[in-house]
Amino acid sequence: MNVVRAEWTKARTLSSTLWLLAGLVALTVGVGALAAGTLHVRDCAEPANCGEDFAKLSLSGLWLSQVVAAVLGVLALGNEYGTRMITVTVAAVPGRLRVLAGKAGVVLALVAIPAVPGVVAAFALARRIFAHSGFALPDAVTGASLRAAGGTVLYLGLIALLALGVTAVVRDTAGSLSVVLLLLYATPALTLVVSDPTWHERLQKYSPLTAGMAIQATTNLDAQPIGPWRGLGILAAWTAAGLIAGAVSFVVRDA
Amino acid sequence: MSFRHLLRAEWTKLRSVNRWLLALAAAAVFTVAFSVLAASGGSTDRQPDVAVGPDGKPVADDFHFVHRALTGDGSIVVRVTDQQNSHPQAMAGVMIKNGVTRGASYASIAVTPAGSVRMMADFRDVEKHAGTAPRWLRLTRTGAHVATYDSTDGSTWREIGAVGLSALPATAEIGMYVSSPGEIRLERSAGSTSVGAESTTGRATFADVRIDGSAASSWTSDDLIQPGRAEKDGPPVGGTAGGAGTFTLTGTGDIGVNEPPDDTVQIGLFGTLAGLLVLVPLGVVFVTSEYRRGMIGTTFAAAPARVPVLAAKAVVMAGVTFTIGLAAALAAFFVTQPILRDHGFTPPMFPTPSLAEPRVLRAVIGAAVFLTLLTLLGLGAGAVMRRGAPAIATVITLTLVPMFVGSVVPAAAARTLMLITPAGGFAMQRAKPATDWLVEPWSMIGPWAGLAVLGTYAVVALTAGGWLMRRRDV
Repeated sequence: MNVVRAEWTKARTLSSTLWLLAGLVALTVGVGALAAGTLHVRDCAEPANCGEDFAKLSLSGLWLSQVVAAVLGVLALGNEYGTRMITVTVAAVPGRLRVLAGKAGVVLALVAIPAVPGVVAAFALARRIFAHSGFALPDAVTGASLRAAGGTVLYLGLIALLALGVTAVVRDTAGSLSVVLLLLYATPALTLVVSDPTWHERLQKYSPLTAGMAIQATTNLDAQPIGPWRGLGILAAWTAAGLIAGAVSFVVRDA
Repeated sequence: MSFRHLLRAEWTKLRSVNRWLLALAAAAVFTVAFSVLAASGGSTDRQPDVAVGPDGKPVADDFHFVHRALTGDGSIVVRVTDQQNSHPQAMAGVMIKNGVTRGASYASIAVTPAGSVRMMADFRDVEKHAGTAPRWLRLTRTGAHVATYDSTDGSTWREIGAVGLSALPATAEIGMYVSSPGEIRLERSAGSTSVGAESTTGRATFADVRIDGSAASSWTSDDLIQPGRAEKDGPPVGGTAGGAGTFTLTGTGDIGVNEPPDDTVQIGLFGTLAGLLVLVPLGVVFVTSEYRRGMIGTTFAAAPARVPVLAAKAVVMAGVTFTIGLAAALAAFFVTQPILRDHGFTPPMFPTPSLAEPRVLRAVIGAAVFLTLLTLLGLGAGAVMRRGAPAIATVITLTLVPMFVGSVVPAAAARTLMLITPAGGFAMQRAKPATDWLVEPWSMIGPWAGLAVLGTYAVVALTAGGWLMRRRDV
């Protein structure tokens, strides 16, 4: 418990943490509202739902807020390597797995707790915008929309943990962040130019970003490259791999 | 310190950090490897039985043609009395052609609803003047020489243009034609994009038709149409009605060079996306690491003029990234082209690109410039923020997220997005003209527009960084 409290104190007293959390909420709500604003009933062939996934559109702020989650995960450990604080940390708590577990718990809480009101606010604001644009909306709370909202929070947490694991391997803020961004963005970018259908589908199914973000889909699930929970499962597998590699590297190597 | 000394100081800093040298090597390797990956996933379903023009290039040659065989010299005169506005570039006019095989040599003159009188020969424009239907058109053949004229009254003629067509045989087909290109239909919505063409049908009436010379006595009517298209788009719509000097023609399709928008050079340079994920952080930490280690105090003590310090950093970084970027782009180009050929990107639809072509050379150099400017943007952002993580996250997010968002939002929004974010810089790697036909949003703007957008970002970031460095304590 002392480990968690120590990690919590470190995170809390960094001035950047508050800014990043504010940014995470602002991006989730703001980008969702912007995306919702691009849709108007007069542009639709079928006014009922325009063939659009309202929940997914409302939560599209995730495209940007996940970068904030990644930065938080990287800084939680990267800052300690930058300032050599890490030597003090592992001297105080020789059980290194406990240090990493403590950090993981704090990072997860830091991301997930503000993400919940952020997601709720994004939903509520986007609904008002849709109503203003002339749409008759279905029920706000359905199984699918709860899955999309809850899944978005889980996604942010998994990205932050993946970033933490990568940082434990790379041990450098800038380097870790580039590796995480490479993992997130490079494979989906390939899908823009890869036209071979088999490869296209594989890339979408197994890259952490496209697979994980499948959790946001609420309509037309058959047309998605991967099911919502299976997709999030793929991301969870990436996170687990990152954390295991990080833990091994953290335990085996000298700080 | 003189600027030369500053340059040497910054160069020494860069080359003495092993991690950075490793990053530079990784950037080059990633660029080539990722390009190979993109090329290996390539496939194309563009028609393999496309018509081929006299110069071996793929062409579109679809229209409705009413013609008679003309042996030796002769001419045709018609009055286009009206033309339906089915498409701005629809054509109604007269033509002489080496038979009715698609891709065969020809010369033509036509009016378009867009308001031009257009002379073409062998799938390229010869001349264009203002004018619309109703209008008289005349085409004269003298040996290998074809000249065209137009007139508003049928008595005073204006020469539009003239060409020599060596491939035209003694007996060629001469007559009237109507064409009308397809309308691009692009649907982007959250999650999917589809690009297609909807065919349009042109209609025009020709009166006072007269052929001089030894021509066959009867008219023949033909639809030139791409094989397989008739089944896809329904029965051929071309047709002829009338006679005794007045004809109404309907026709569909387009005539002209038909290069597919898919750009094999660009696909082969796509790995810069992986390269930039290494180079942008390097540009950022080249500045921010000095702040973190307090080295910046030493640097400023040695060189009190701060703007030259940032300038020296930028020059050293630009030189190194451009060199690495160019080497990687050249390697990627040479490695990926054979792979793309194996994946169906073959002539004539996809002529093998050569560095001797200015547009290919521009794209390869463009890839190096793209990486250089993004690295400088990172360097400027590092100077502004003084912290590595937020600067890296900001620059990379601004560059990559618009790519994904732009591929799902409506076309107009996607174009705007490319013109206001560094993602537009990807357009510098295209060797073909801007097109609305592809999913990747940066293909909607031209290479120079991409350079302008990214260049502006880099200059603004460096200027802001220099200004803040001067104003702040350290």
